[in-house]
Amino acid sequence: MNQMSALLFERSEHDRVVAGVCGGLAARLGVDATLIRLVFALLALAGGAGILLYFALWAYGEGWRTWAAAALIAAAGAILLLALGLSTTAVVGATLLVAGFATVVIRGGSLRPGGSLPILGVTLLLAGAVIFLGTNGKSGPFIVPGAVVGALVLVIGPWIWQLTSERTERIRIQERAEVAARIHDSVLQTLALVQRHASDPQRVASLARRQERELRRWLYGSGVAEVALLVDALTDAAVDVEELHGVRVEVASAGDAALDDAVGQLVLAAREAMTNAAKFSGADEVFVYAESGQDLIAVFVRDAGVGFDRPAVPQDRHGIAESIEGRMKRAGGTATIVTAPGQGTEVELRLPR
Amino acid sequence: MKRRVVLVDDHELFRAGVRGELGDSLEIVGEAGTVAEAIALIRELDPEVVLLDVHLADGGGEGVIAGVAPERPGVKFLALSVSDAAEDVISVIRAGARGYVTKTISSEELADAIERVAEGDAVFSPRLAGFVLDAFAAGERVGGDAELDVLTSREREVLQLIARGYRYKEIAARLHLSVKTVEAHVSSVLRKLQLSSRHELTRWAHERRLV
Repeated sequence: MNQMSALLFERSEHDRVVAGVCGGLAARLGVDATLIRLVFALLALAGGAGILLYFALWAYGEGWRTWAAAALIAAAGAILLLALGLSTTAVVGATLLVAGFATVVIRGGSLRPGGSLPILGVTLLLAGAVIFLGTNGKSGPFIVPGAVVGALVLVIGPWIWQLTSERTERIRIQERAEVAARIHDSVLQTLALVQRHASDPQRVASLARRQERELRRWLYGSGVAEVALLVDALTDAAVDVEELHGVRVEVASAGDAALDDAVGQLVLAAREAMTNAAKFSGADEVFVYAESGQDLIAVFVRDAGVGFDRPAVPQDRHGIAESIEGRMKRAGGTATIVTAPGQGTEVELRLPR
Repeated sequence: MKRRVVLVDDHELFRAGVRGELGDSLEIVGEAGTVAEAIALIRELDPEVVLLDVHLADGGGEGVIAGVAPERPGVKFLALSVSDAAEDVISVIRAGARGYVTKTISSEELADAIERVAEGDAVFSPRLAGFVLDAFAAGERVGGDAELDVLTSREREVLQLIARGYRYKEIAARLHLSVKTVEAHVSSVLRKLQLSSRHELTRWAHERRLV
């Protein structure tokens, strides 16, 4: 990942004629893609150098080994120089110069004081310079601009090299900071709470469970903080109820569904049912099962506790009548409560899709 | 005679916890933290039940089962994990584990589950029942071994009740069956899950990963 982001440019996905190399370059350099394409077209006329160069950059963007891309670029350069009328010797010299410089850059050599220079790179550079200057007579006009460009490259090259590696490092530090923040917000807070409540095993257990679920969702799940799926939302509700009332809430599921308004209401109704079970059933475990099919979502909330006599519950008891049945009705679904004294309770919530 | 159990889990702390909780009701003859260790240990000790973590540092629990089962067909595996990843759990079951429980299970329930696995029963926690229903629900059947590839409506009913938190005894009472019959249904589901070559399971796992 870091390697990818350290590339000097990436092929453009949308601005492309052939493979998006020109588009990518243009985006990187901040100029019009047509201009870049024009340059490549002109270079292509110079003995096909432009085409070769295009392939080289494409290979680079594909994450080929740098030396392979560099070799292609060097070949393109050589063809170009030949096309411009340089002698073969001069071309060999120029190629050696470029190869030497590339070696210096790739091997991570620094041209700054104190930096180490790879011997191979320096040798190639020297050999290139000697051969190039040796052909002085035939290619005079190229010596001065060539020297200027060479000097510029030598000065700027290490700097660019440093910039890219700094950027990679910065990304790594950023990622580490994100993980650290996440661990701090969750795990460390929980550990602190665990220490404070060390004498209350139930609380410690529920804290640990909550943390475990959170961390697991982060590690194996979508990695997104916002809950967007039914099962995640139910699990959150279950953890809250566990924490508030000190019972275990076991969530099982088959299938999952996106969390829209109606499904959100379903979750709230299920949460209310869990709370009732935790508060009144006397059971130490509550089971939640969510089944999401093509045309129906069903959520079952069950406890094996004391149960109750439904008709004997006053109509104005807010929990069941309003928070569960009323809510499901408004969402376009139904709620059925099956219970009897001593038989446990099961709340069945159904929502047609 | 206490059941001879081997613990395989890459967290020493968790192994110590299980040993502390279960040490009296059964005999923990060995512990391993990696797939390679576990295979060697189980071959050597030939325990009745292996308590097997779904996730190990050097691979999944199914690697342990694959490495042991051909030589020691009598060893029963009970998978256990904190992971919710349905496809991981299903693949350990398909490899041959006789059941799956979550690590948050109470020690009595765990002891009970080990006992049931040792006797040859299948142990489905509510969560596993949900996963299995999900796996069998995915994709319509076309061709193949139809008998192995679909659940009967009774099996579906039993699984759904397990997922809803009903114990075997309660399910038996509710469906007017004997507990033995309920157990037979669960074992049959396990057999289908392990023997079925249906490609849907793989496709289902892929779909889940992509979602």
